[in-house]
Amino acid sequence: MKKQQDIAIIGIGVTKFGELFHQSYDDLVRDAALQAVADAKIPMDDIGAAWLSTAFPEIGVFKGRSGMDLCEPLSLYNIPVTRVSNFCASGADAIRNAVNALRAGECDVAMALGVEKLRDRQPQDSIVKMMVEYGHPFLQKGFTAAGTFAVYANRMMKEFGMTREDISNVSVKNHYHGSLNEKAFYQKPCSIDEVMKSPMVANPLTVLDSCPTTDGAACVILVRAEDVDKKKHKPVFIKGIGLSVSTGWDLPFFDPNHDFLSFEATRTAAKMAYKQAGITKPIDEIDLIEVHDCFSIVELLTYEDLGLCKTGEAKDLIRGKETQLGGKIPVNVSGGLLSCGHPVGEPGSGWWLKWRIIYEAMPVNAR
Amino acid sequence: MSHIRSYGTALTHFRAEDITLHPKGKKGMMKSVCFSDEDIITLAYEAATNCFSILNSQIDGILFATSTPVFHNRSHASFLADLMNLPQGILAMDFVNSSRCGTDALLLANDLIASGKYKNILVVSSDVAFPEIGKELSTPFGHAACAILLSSEKGIAEIVSARSFSSSLAEEFTYKGSNVQNDPRFSRDAGFKTNMTGSLKKFVSAPKSFDAIILNSLYARMAGRIFFKAGFDEKQFAKDTLASKIGNTGATHAVLLLINELENGKKNILLADYTNGTNFFEIKSTATVKEKTLQNKLDSFEPVLSYQDYLLLRKAGNFDSMRYETKEMFSSEMMQEREKETLLYLTGMKCDKCGTIYYLKSARCKKCKTDKFSKVQLSKNGSVYTFTHEHYFPASFPPITMAVIDLEGGGRMTVQQTDTMYPENNKMGMGSKVKLVLRKMIENDAKPNYFWKCIPLRITN
Repeated sequence: MKKQQDIAIIGIGVTKFGELFHQSYDDLVRDAALQAVADAKIPMDDIGAAWLSTAFPEIGVFKGRSGMDLCEPLSLYNIPVTRVSNFCASGADAIRNAVNALRAGECDVAMALGVEKLRDRQPQDSIVKMMVEYGHPFLQKGFTAAGTFAVYANRMMKEFGMTREDISNVSVKNHYHGSLNEKAFYQKPCSIDEVMKSPMVANPLTVLDSCPTTDGAACVILVRAEDVDKKKHKPVFIKGIGLSVSTGWDLPFFDPNHDFLSFEATRTAAKMAYKQAGITKPIDEIDLIEVHDCFSIVELLTYEDLGLCKTGEAKDLIRGKETQLGGKIPVNVSGGLLSCGHPVGEPGSGWWLKWRIIYEAMPVNAR
Repeated sequence: MSHIRSYGTALTHFRAEDITLHPKGKKGMMKSVCFSDEDIITLAYEAATNCFSILNSQIDGILFATSTPVFHNRSHASFLADLMNLPQGILAMDFVNSSRCGTDALLLANDLIASGKYKNILVVSSDVAFPEIGKELSTPFGHAACAILLSSEKGIAEIVSARSFSSSLAEEFTYKGSNVQNDPRFSRDAGFKTNMTGSLKKFVSAPKSFDAIILNSLYARMAGRIFFKAGFDEKQFAKDTLASKIGNTGATHAVLLLINELENGKKNILLADYTNGTNFFEIKSTATVKEKTLQNKLDSFEPVLSYQDYLLLRKAGNFDSMRYETKEMFSSEMMQEREKETLLYLTGMKCDKCGTIYYLKSARCKKCKTDKFSKVQLSKNGSVYTFTHEHYFPASFPPITMAVIDLEGGGRMTVQQTDTMYPENNKMGMGSKVKLVLRKMIENDAKPNYFWKCIPLRITN
């Protein structure tokens, strides 16, 4: 593959996360997009192409099924707009598409916006409803989202000597980080006891081991690195980006080769991004990491899949507080999904913002 | 005439003691009761599966009997034949009405085989009756199924002769949904007594030749004098030892009593099944029953602990979880028909190159990328690779345990654990041996919705 051009994020906008009863889907789009455009100091009509990510229109407010739902609230017409849907990677995938369009020269300024409006329904009416009533009537029936990850947790505990405390400590750490993030849904630290004694969702994962589904939106404006105006912008450069689909929706639970100890997709995608960015020793070369932590166990799995430690050693990173603010490699300093909640289509783009704001806000000695 | 080639039974995992059902109930008297995802179909399927001694393709008929049908305008027998992957287009008939229909089906199957037109007929009876709330003691019930493979070839017993005798008078019955009970002093004389006396005279020529008389009737108590007058001895009567352990299983009961006596080693059996008319059978045992599969199951069960739990069982399929109310789950007949090879018959795909066995179809092997597969029959036994207990998925008895299972001989499936009214008694861990059983997916009980679940492997199954 050819050497890829660097891309810069020049504008970011993000809404608060949570039960945003006072904001509609369209309000969230406007909120995030206008912030981003203002941050980039460009007129809205400079945007040459846009990507909208919403993962679950059908369990939200039935919005986000096409690019139209980005155009309408912004009056941003007559440019290509594509809706991106790739489950929890939807937001990141919107950015990947924007990056590739810039690299290919389709446009000079691109927008990627992720938005999810799930809390106009009762919580049990959204993702639980999807798992119970939709999809194949037999395959995987009985699972909620938590259960599909809990089976990993149980296997990891058995194979690697990981304990329930290790898993719950991820939640403690991220809730501590969340307490420092004014945009988080939960801004309260919690103790290991509180995590372990909160109601069980799917053994060993409790309510506090699980992220809430929330409303929220985030938007980024991207240009090619050579187009950055250093007087105007404070850019974040994208050195590498990778996406991999490595299994199916049903396959993990019916595939005899799957060991329930790792996500092949994360490993493959990380490899792609590392290669583009020239990273060989992630734990030494990366300063800050935001990962998917829909359930606390997922963050531990991801440590290993990103190559931060050897297989089976994720527990040592969390035990040594290496991934907490001030540790060797802080992970999810935004508070992660566990604190911000999980507007499914959004988080990918939200992270880019969080990276910059929080990293800049951090005391220098904590970096 | 015809031969009983093999048999299979299905008793439920749960039993309710009379004292649990009613404060005046007796201790030690048990009724077999379905778990919330069981019904006549799942019990019949289990019994029929346990009965198989020959290839599916050799079966040329299936007769299904129940007094508690779940379908109208749909043949239970055809439905079951399809579940069992019996050949298309075979004889499939339902016997749906009285609690005598189990032996009605047996009687007809016997005659069909005697006619020479059929060679192997599967006779399945299955009954799941729930009495009205509060009438659990006064209404006989018990849930069980029984399958008998009748054949022109020799098996464990021979039906020497069989005949049905109609009766004009019924003691108690249902008319347009309401119960009618005739004056017992009159109706039992004019009904049971008259019918039994007359038919005994016509059917039995050598009363002393039998070593077991099975009389299945609600009025069996008053039969002593009738049989005595007809030349029988009290010692010849086989006691109903099943009623106290599983209750009166309706259409299945007479057939279960017959199997019980075959397992007891009786040689010459007279079976009389009375409900508004009598079916008589003379049966000779032709081989010793080695594996007493019915009797082995009788004492292996879990008791229902309270009337409240029994009520929860009764609500089968129409329930709310503590946290979530089920409306309707997506279900599609087209999909179920299209995918039944995989979903029902557990036909897997084996990679011709690396040998990996998949439950779900795929164009290429995930491991070695080859596109050549062969069909393979997956096992119903396996061991748990990993699992979790789901507290938020709607269930009558949460949590639902989801188990990722490695099947014996290859292939992996993920299914719910069932029979978990009391999860603490049925714990599974990694490596636990489990068995797949066909049950209802009760989240959507509005349509036939049968799929696999698992139970920990117990000695008796």
